[in-house]
Amino acid sequence: MTTLEILRRLCDADGVSGEEGSACEAAAELLRAYTDDVTVDPFGSVIANVYDAGEGAPRLLLDAHIDQIGMIVTHITEEGFIRVAPCGGVDRRLLLAQEVVIHGTRPVPGIVGTKPPHLTSGDEAKKVVDIEDIAIDTGYTKEELLQWVAPGDRVTYVSSFAQLENGRITSRSLDDRAGAASILHTLELLKGKKLPCSLTVVFSSQEETGGMGAATTAFRIHPDAAIAVDVSFALTADADEVKCGKMGEGPMIGSSPILNRGMFDELLDIAKTSGIPWQVEVMGGRTSTNADHISVAAGGVRTALLSVPLRYMHTPVEVIQVSDVDAVGELMAKYILQYEG
Amino acid sequence: MEFLNILQTLCDEYGISGNESAVASRIIEMIEDYVDEYRVDNMGNVIAFKKGAKTPAKKIMIDAHMDEVGMIVTGFASDGRLCFTTVGGVDARVVLGRQVVVGENRIPGVIGTKAVHMQSEEERKTAAPVDKLYIDIGCSTKEEAMALVDPGDEVCFPAGFGTFGNGYLKGKAIDDRFGCAVMVDLIRSELPCDCWFSFSVQEEVGCRGAAGSAYSIAPDYAIALESTTAADLAGVSEPKTVCCLGKGAVVGFMDKGTIYPKELYRLCHEIGREQNIPVQGKTMVAGGNNAGVIHKTAGGIKTIAISAPCRYLHSPFCVVKESDLLAVRDLTRALLAKLAE
Repeated sequence: MTTLEILRRLCDADGVSGEEGSACEAAAELLRAYTDDVTVDPFGSVIANVYDAGEGAPRLLLDAHIDQIGMIVTHITEEGFIRVAPCGGVDRRLLLAQEVVIHGTRPVPGIVGTKPPHLTSGDEAKKVVDIEDIAIDTGYTKEELLQWVAPGDRVTYVSSFAQLENGRITSRSLDDRAGAASILHTLELLKGKKLPCSLTVVFSSQEETGGMGAATTAFRIHPDAAIAVDVSFALTADADEVKCGKMGEGPMIGSSPILNRGMFDELLDIAKTSGIPWQVEVMGGRTSTNADHISVAAGGVRTALLSVPLRYMHTPVEVIQVSDVDAVGELMAKYILQYEG
Repeated sequence: MEFLNILQTLCDEYGISGNESAVASRIIEMIEDYVDEYRVDNMGNVIAFKKGAKTPAKKIMIDAHMDEVGMIVTGFASDGRLCFTTVGGVDARVVLGRQVVVGENRIPGVIGTKAVHMQSEEERKTAAPVDKLYIDIGCSTKEEAMALVDPGDEVCFPAGFGTFGNGYLKGKAIDDRFGCAVMVDLIRSELPCDCWFSFSVQEEVGCRGAAGSAYSIAPDYAIALESTTAADLAGVSEPKTVCCLGKGAVVGFMDKGTIYPKELYRLCHEIGREQNIPVQGKTMVAGGNNAGVIHKTAGGIKTIAISAPCRYLHSPFCVVKESDLLAVRDLTRALLAKLAE
């Protein structure tokens, strides 16, 4: 399976925070190509013990989050419109007239309603609608909807996975299925090789709502070291250049007070000597990724952070370049092969 | 060919104002074996004539517009972005966070901004102004983009017609491909009387095409088929709904462009009552359509508009009810018969 095919399969699966089921299944299936030891833990994270280097060998953890942002049903109005709350960091400026699916006892398609011009005069047309004021139209009455939909059901964006120029792709949920795909690429590169450490992969739940999945699985596994793989900001014309990486220029190697300095140095060295493109992302403290939680799990875990540069984060049209996903995977594979603990 | 198939074929075709030729070709394919004559005029209007059971004393024309709202490429930025402006009354708040289709080669692109994480509190609350947005097709340089796209290329919301909820339909361009579909459907059946048909261009940029076709056909009576704003949404009071989905064809006495002849207005409602075709009025003087130019063409033409109530007009997802569309078709046919008496 190519990286592109893996990305398509992962992005087409649904898994809003706390209800990662279908995305977990897709990810678990892909992991089974590398080990039979794949489980889903009580928190909804997928755990795969990929390699056992024997007793006493150090254990390395690779983490990417499997959940995606979305919304959660709070109420059904008398007229049959669905009210929601955000599940993760939703950009509410783009909600109007989006196509969505409500994941009830059966999937129910919906359109986020917009008020027509005669009801949005003057300044209101420039204002962004509060998320509690949006109404999802399903073409059903309240009575009909109650057969399948209940408060607590998750809502996902519908988006079609498409290839753009320069090996770039667009889809929802590339945050962080791109990270999962890069870990799967690492496993492909390491297939059949003897490794100096035991290796566990976690595709963790609930990152977008606070990182609980990674915190709990890292505690359970308690590895010696971990690499969290997430996405980070790729430069767009309207953003601050110094706060962004560049698309197509390889892994963004994270540097931060909460990340392990030694691992950062090693990753950077390997990238430089092996010709893998790289860029450094410096953060002044916490990273807003699973690395924040893994690094303090149990007695503490030496943790590094690698990010795939991504544009339009948390929208139905996120964009990445596939070569960056592969480069992140390659850098991790090289790191693991020379791992000394 | 079933009515819904005709509608889907037309809605999923691309054609912003001034670029209706692909839609016109589809229409001609569907009607050429069923009309007595047809031609494409200098503006691009498709004008067709079909004989019916009798030749009425007064000449009758039915009109619907072929164009849809969308966007147009205006230029290129040095980093390969496409600049664009809107064509027709696109709500600025439904442009962001979407995939679009660019030019004749239907190149996929996306419209995004910097991530929600990087926006100030003020930016998060303010609709992104369209003149600050751009289309990303994955190009890195102006030269790359210019090899694929020309200034003036059309940009459309992606085709996505489908059934929805309990008897509803959703998709782009239902405004006014639905009117075109009703005319195609009438043409492919036996008519109660001779009739002229105007599939007109450029309605969304000021009702321009119908001025030409009404002049050259020079009818005594005209029927404009349109989709009209329905605001039967959560929390909207009845007088402000304008009209409601599921309550049938909409025939108003007045809108922003036309005061309709009372005889035609009354006749439509009378036919509805007599023949059990659901017909509703409008609760507000709102909207406008090709009737606005047709009725004042040459020495004046007695014109009535028969509309389908439509939610989220001018967005990537119009929502209509199938039974309302059929009511418009049935009322139009019945009105033809009455006018020929």
